[in-house]
Amino acid sequence: MDDRLTRYNYDSFVPEKFEPWMNFEASPKTGTVGLDFPLWDLDQTPTRLSEIWSRHDYTIVEFGSFT
Amino acid sequence: MNAMADKYGEYKVGSIFLYSHEAHPGENYPHLTSMEQKFRHARDLRDVLDVTRPILVDSLDGACHRAYGSMPNMTWIFARSGLIVYKSDWTDAHSVENAIQYFSQIPSRRKVGERLAPFHVERLDYRNQEREQFYKCLERNGPKAVAEFRKAFPTG
Repeated sequence: MDDRLTRYNYDSFVPEKFEPWMNFEASPKTGTVGLDFPLWDLDQTPTRLSEIWSRHDYTIVEFGSFT
Repeated sequence: MNAMADKYGEYKVGSIFLYSHEAHPGENYPHLTSMEQKFRHARDLRDVLDVTRPILVDSLDGACHRAYGSMPNMTWIFARSGLIVYKSDWTDAHSVENAIQYFSQIPSRRKVGERLAPFHVERLDYRNQEREQFYKCLERNGPKAVAEFRKAFPTG
C-alpha cells in the first residue's frame, strides 16, 4: 500500500497516528455545496454521494466504522 | 440513529451510514488493507450492530471521509441540492433529530409563501458519553484496542 493508504488506515490508536486526520475545522462550511465522491453499497455497486443526497429533501450522513 | 431514520423517512428525509476506517483497530478487527476487507467489516457492522440504514463504503484511502474532516463518528446533513445544512464533529441522535425537525419544515414553509433566507448559527451541543457501551465495543475489537485507548486517554 502507498504511504497515504497506510497512514489513513493506521494500525494502532496512538495520537501520532490518529490526530493528524482529525481536521474538522478545515472541513467544508455549511451553506456551501458538498464535495462529491464515489461510494459503494455493500453489494459493491458504485454510486456517488451526490446521487445519495439528491434522493431526498434532506439526507443524514453518519460517518463511522465497526471499531 | 436507526430509529430516527425510520421516524423521519416519511418526511422525505434519507439517512445513510458511510463506512470510513477503523478508528480503534484490534486483533479481531485490524486496520484495513483491502476493499474486500472493508466490505466485510461493513457487513459485520450491519449484522452485529443491526444497522438498518443503507451502509455505503468509502474508498480505501478515505477520500470522502478525509474531505469532510476525518472525524471518527461525525454527522452531516445535505439538502437535495447538495447544500450542506448541518455538520457535527460527533454524532448525537438528539442533536440530529433537533436539526431534522427544523429543516423538515422548510419546504412546507416555502410552500405557504414564507420568504426564507439562510443564515449561519453556531451551537455547542452535548452528548451522552455512554462509557460502558463504548468499552464493550472496544473489547469486541480486541484487547489491543482497549489497551491503546486507555493509554491515549488514561482518564477516559
